[in-house]
Amino acid sequence: MNGLWLVAGREIRTRIRTKGFLISLALSGLLVVALAFVPKLLSGQDAYEVAVVGAVPVAAADVTYTKYADEAGARKAVTDGDVDAALIDDQRVVSKGELDQRLGLLLESAHREGKIKASGLVITPLSVETGATAQYQSVRTGIATLLVMVLFFLLIYSAMYVAMGVVEEKGSRIVEILLAAVRPWQLLGGKIVGLGLLGLVNLAVVIGGGLIAATATGLAGDFPPGMAGIVISTVVWFVLGYAFFSVLAAAFGSLVSRQEEVNSVLTPMTMTMTITYLVAYFAAVEPEGTLARVLSLVPPFSSMVMPVRTAAADVPIAEIVLSAALMVVATVAVLLAGARVYNRAVVRTGARVKLAEVLR
Amino acid sequence: MLEVQDLRKRFGDKVALDGVGFAVRPGEMFGFVGANGAGKTTTMRIVMGVLDADSGEVRLDGKPLTYDSRRRFGYMPEERGLYQKMKVAEQVEYFGRLHGLGRAAARDAAGELIERLGISGRRDDAVETLSLGNQQRVQLAVALVHSPSVLVLDEPFSGLDPIAVDALADVLKDRCSSGVPVVFSSHQLELVEQLCDSVGIISGGRMVASGPVDELRDTEGRTLLKVVVRGASPGWADGLTGEVTTDGDRQVLLIESGDDQEILRSAVNAGEVEHFGRQRPTLAEIFREAVA
Repeated sequence: MNGLWLVAGREIRTRIRTKGFLISLALSGLLVVALAFVPKLLSGQDAYEVAVVGAVPVAAADVTYTKYADEAGARKAVTDGDVDAALIDDQRVVSKGELDQRLGLLLESAHREGKIKASGLVITPLSVETGATAQYQSVRTGIATLLVMVLFFLLIYSAMYVAMGVVEEKGSRIVEILLAAVRPWQLLGGKIVGLGLLGLVNLAVVIGGGLIAATATGLAGDFPPGMAGIVISTVVWFVLGYAFFSVLAAAFGSLVSRQEEVNSVLTPMTMTMTITYLVAYFAAVEPEGTLARVLSLVPPFSSMVMPVRTAAADVPIAEIVLSAALMVVATVAVLLAGARVYNRAVVRTGARVKLAEVLR
Repeated sequence: MLEVQDLRKRFGDKVALDGVGFAVRPGEMFGFVGANGAGKTTTMRIVMGVLDADSGEVRLDGKPLTYDSRRRFGYMPEERGLYQKMKVAEQVEYFGRLHGLGRAAARDAAGELIERLGISGRRDDAVETLSLGNQQRVQLAVALVHSPSVLVLDEPFSGLDPIAVDALADVLKDRCSSGVPVVFSSHQLELVEQLCDSVGIISGGRMVASGPVDELRDTEGRTLLKVVVRGASPGWADGLTGEVTTDGDRQVLLIESGDDQEILRSAVNAGEVEHFGRQRPTLAEIFREAVA
């Protein structure tokens, strides 16, 4: 076990010293923080100040009235930008540029309400009832969509690094002296564990950054209940998906001896991941669709589709357990086959090794 | 004692090793020579467990090699391999730790070797910034850092300048004299002759000669009679079967010994005899003859 941790330690030390790692870590953190601010930017202004000359209208949500003595003073306040608009004698509205749409609606309804009240008529507002799932639907879809991207990039990025590390060691033949000191499973395991821990750090930065930013912007107030569950399921599924794809990447990587060949040898894996990504993206929008339901059970698609579906909708616990169990089985199978391929192919330098040859 | 017994290995239709065997005693330096493609690297890779033999065995002190016994070997593969972006001292230390040294022991051993191999000025530089010769010294440090019980080095001297060759030879002799069997392959036959106690010559996957260098020089190849005559007229040796070369006013005759006294008489008659004696074959000559 000691050998594995030594290898993992070297992977981590080497990787965190590179600019690429620090930059991608900072960028992914900044990206989610920026995304947390987007709803606030899109929603526009949420409080208004209005100058009032003459009669003060009925109170309106988010609107503060300030009394002015005459129209000239009110108009000056509008021009100077001290207030968003001026209401003259409860009849005319003056604004500097185009009147803010929401403010217009607020003033209009306050005006009507005042007139209706004056006429003695009583109107009960419409009451709205929604299902429990629908209540946070848009936020859940947003979180799920974000999850798809984060999971996809972290998984493909980490798996790529595993493959590149394997090829680096094979291509430089350093693997021959490494294998004189440690067993293949320690070398491969150490690499996967080390780079996986860095992937988890990156995931933690993304989730942590997102949660802190969401709290700071007040977005967290709209979070559905069970946010902790979503976070935990994301981490667990990342670990499962990473275990599956990184072993696959290492096995494919061990077939070639040059970095230039990595991309082509990994194509089957990156294709699978891209399909998974697309399905997961679809599942974020339509979590109860047949495709999403089926593929959230089938490994390795489930590694991205299930956490996304869990975030977007309420998934029966039995389905989650079944899906996780299937994924664990698939991961163990890939681990056994992948370790076999790696053991046999990693010292066979030169031309690309055929998969069928080493699996026999 | 490291014993290699009757190794056989095929790659597809090609027979790479066809019964290779030799033995290296503790404290013995064994030179493994052969033409390109003769099977040296394949043999060493099998000794190190990088490849599996089809049949045959490698034993250390009578016991078949296991992962744990190999872990105490020091190995330098033919194709050099280091982490290019890792620093020199850090890299040597890392390999020490992989071989089971503790943190402090690995650091001390790495520092000492780096000093010894004359690269202490580069200890904190990335390997990729070093010249090839210096990278090779790092490679050797990696092979030696855990004080191995057996050394297996594939072409350790290739590409080194004479000063580096001396530094490396010193370190190897040192390890050897502490009782470690050392096996190394090389094309530099003079160097092998000078350093090694024993040699093995491999050709086409078979051992064609092996044993102590002195013994081989006595038993393998032809021992020739060398006669140097000064001021002889050309054609003095026409009646003899040997080969004559001219060097200024000296004529050098190399001949298979037969009737030595008769040859001496002809030489004395022809001119002033400067040298008359048997010449044992050099390792290079034995090698050429064995491989031919």
